[in-house]
Amino acid sequence: MSETPVTAADPFARPLTRREVLKRGAVGTAVVFGSTIAFAPRRVWAAEHANSITMGSFQDNAMAPIRDYFNKLFTKETGIKVNYNETNYDTWYQNAKNDGLNKTGAYDIYVMDDNWVPEFAAGKIIQSLDSLGFKVNPDILEKGVEQGLWPPKRGAKMKAFAKQKPELYAIVNIDDVEILYYNKKYFPHAPQTWDDVYKVAKAKSKPGKLYGWSARGVKGNPIVQTYLPLMSAYGANFVNPDWSPGFNGPAGVAALVRLFSFIPYMPSGVAEFDTDQETQVLLQGKCTALTEYTGLVHQIDNPSASKVIHQINTAATPAQERHGPAIGTFICGIASGAKNPQAAVHYLEWFTSSRIQKEFARRGGSAAVTGSALHDPVAVKKYRWLPAIADAVNNSVPKPRTPDEPKMEDILGTALNEALVEAISKKSGYQAIAQKHLNSAAKQITSYLKQQGGYF
Amino acid sequence: MSVASAEIGEGGTRGWRLRAAATPYVLLVPALLALAAVSLYPIFYGARASLHRYRYGIDMGSAGKQNYVDVFHDPVFWEAIKTTAKYVVIAVPIETLLGLGLALLVARELRFVSWIRVTLILPMTIAPVVVGVIFRLLYASDIGVANPLFEKLGLGTPNILARETSAFLGLVAVDVWEWTPLLFLILLAGLTSLPQDPLEAAEVDGASRVQAFFHHTLPLLKPVLLVAITLRTIDAVGTFDQIFVLTKGGPGTSTQLISIYAYNTAFTFTQYGQAMAMLIALLACLLLLMAAAVHFMRRTSEAVA
Repeated sequence: MSETPVTAADPFARPLTRREVLKRGAVGTAVVFGSTIAFAPRRVWAAEHANSITMGSFQDNAMAPIRDYFNKLFTKETGIKVNYNETNYDTWYQNAKNDGLNKTGAYDIYVMDDNWVPEFAAGKIIQSLDSLGFKVNPDILEKGVEQGLWPPKRGAKMKAFAKQKPELYAIVNIDDVEILYYNKKYFPHAPQTWDDVYKVAKAKSKPGKLYGWSARGVKGNPIVQTYLPLMSAYGANFVNPDWSPGFNGPAGVAALVRLFSFIPYMPSGVAEFDTDQETQVLLQGKCTALTEYTGLVHQIDNPSASKVIHQINTAATPAQERHGPAIGTFICGIASGAKNPQAAVHYLEWFTSSRIQKEFARRGGSAAVTGSALHDPVAVKKYRWLPAIADAVNNSVPKPRTPDEPKMEDILGTALNEALVEAISKKSGYQAIAQKHLNSAAKQITSYLKQQGGYF
Repeated sequence: MSVASAEIGEGGTRGWRLRAAATPYVLLVPALLALAAVSLYPIFYGARASLHRYRYGIDMGSAGKQNYVDVFHDPVFWEAIKTTAKYVVIAVPIETLLGLGLALLVARELRFVSWIRVTLILPMTIAPVVVGVIFRLLYASDIGVANPLFEKLGLGTPNILARETSAFLGLVAVDVWEWTPLLFLILLAGLTSLPQDPLEAAEVDGASRVQAFFHHTLPLLKPVLLVAITLRTIDAVGTFDQIFVLTKGGPGTSTQLISIYAYNTAFTFTQYGQAMAMLIALLACLLLLMAAAVHFMRRTSEAVA
């Protein structure tokens, strides 16, 4: 290869001096900064005045109809564009919190889990919907609306908020609640009590082939979701109105002993089961019944997911002293730094209106939030689980309304998992095992709440 | 004073000399600033957060030493420390022994040895989360291969992840599977760079292979071994991904390492101050461990030299 001769016309042939490097660097930096300054105000202006809202959510199949159909319908009807961003649960929780705390204004609407409401409302991460003039549709089931109030309307209240009037900070958009799923081959009609479920489990189960019950047994939130409908049904509270734990009394212990009584009729590895494993047993036709949130309804008649299509029926979770399904709604709040709060209010009022909720129920049998939608004959004919959802919401029992609820749930969930592992291994002495672990959890929760302050 | 410095001193002004002396430090400033921004600032920020109280996700101001007091009075923290120590003490020695054994086996130039080396380091190249998923598919009591295999062997169903001891040992096995290759790689590099003279001399003197290994190879390899063990120990203390995917710290708290507990404390319980207090305390312990390792390494190097 011949070498190219160095000429004066070739600017790259001569090495640059230090002065030239600095000069060109300064010019480059000025161009970058200049263009940023020149364009930034226009972008901010555009965002502030555009007829659009931005909605953020965690990924969940239940949100698919909203993302794919209803947001477009809202744009069509109102001319307001809805930008929709979703990410995984943990990331979205952090993103939403950071956005609200810093009033970044990246989002107008946060789709939240209902147990975020105490923290987001108390921390002013979301705005009061009452202050924004939001009008609640009276058709929305009351227990669902209560999930968005801060401080809570009933139950234990933190001292600092005890005298404040409850304000609406978020509005339910999907009535997610625990319901009973049962295989009608083994239950001619919905079991009314836990004793009924136990009788069928005992009579029908053939370990390895057919189980009488399946449950989430993993520590933390999963096993708490298994225990809560039992605990409430037997008459115990997670916490009493004075924040003392209410699950380690006779009712809470009896509820856990009832759960242990299913051990011979449950899969042997149940202590490691989370939702996917728990529900697979039912969908494979290997289980007579279980309790789970409403997300499962979309799979029970899906031939690619279930071997027992049209065989699984639903009902409110069984009673003992009372019904006690756990409620865990999807709920929407308006960001503290929302750029278009009025359009966000408009969207939420529109989506929770009876007309749109009826359409929400009719399109895929989603867990609508209004009574008229959940009892709509057209929707119910196609999606038989809708009245069970309404029944479960009306009987539901909320978790403690405090930002410290996740820690309380973790303590209880760890103790329940330890108890389950011990009960599986010992196969007897259930009463003593239940009492020991529930007492331990109660002691830890009390100690934690005292350490945090604001409860006693 | 060197000749060059003396010449400069004779010919230059006082200011010029000062500038010349300062130039290396000035040139270091950008690198130091970058290092401070990337490495030191997060640590200082974390240390500051450990002295603050957080409520509703908001910094409520100084908490003094309260977070540290709360952490040191938290039985779950101590349990997590104990579990972490147990995990490291079991996993790292197994990985070291296996890594050393494999390195000794493939250090010699045999047929297909390069293929064997590549195969051996494969587990290390897989993302820890994916490793967690793979082992979940192996261990899971409903769809995993472990239960049917044990049943066929007449050993019953182990339900690995559903029992405290088996879940813990199952996680140790995952760690050994994934990270033995790292030890293997470091020790193999150490072995191939050892001086051959002492080993050849030992062979001439009639030393057996075992004698040569314990009297020559191992002492010469000690500094490398120590670096490998220190690095692996630090890494093992922070193990998170596989445990999060496989057990989330359960059953009970049997696999709850400090990383899992600190994560939950920060992101589930939103007690950022307490989580940082835990991690700063852990960092202090690790720094002590590293200082001891460096001290030991220096002494060993001096002894070898």
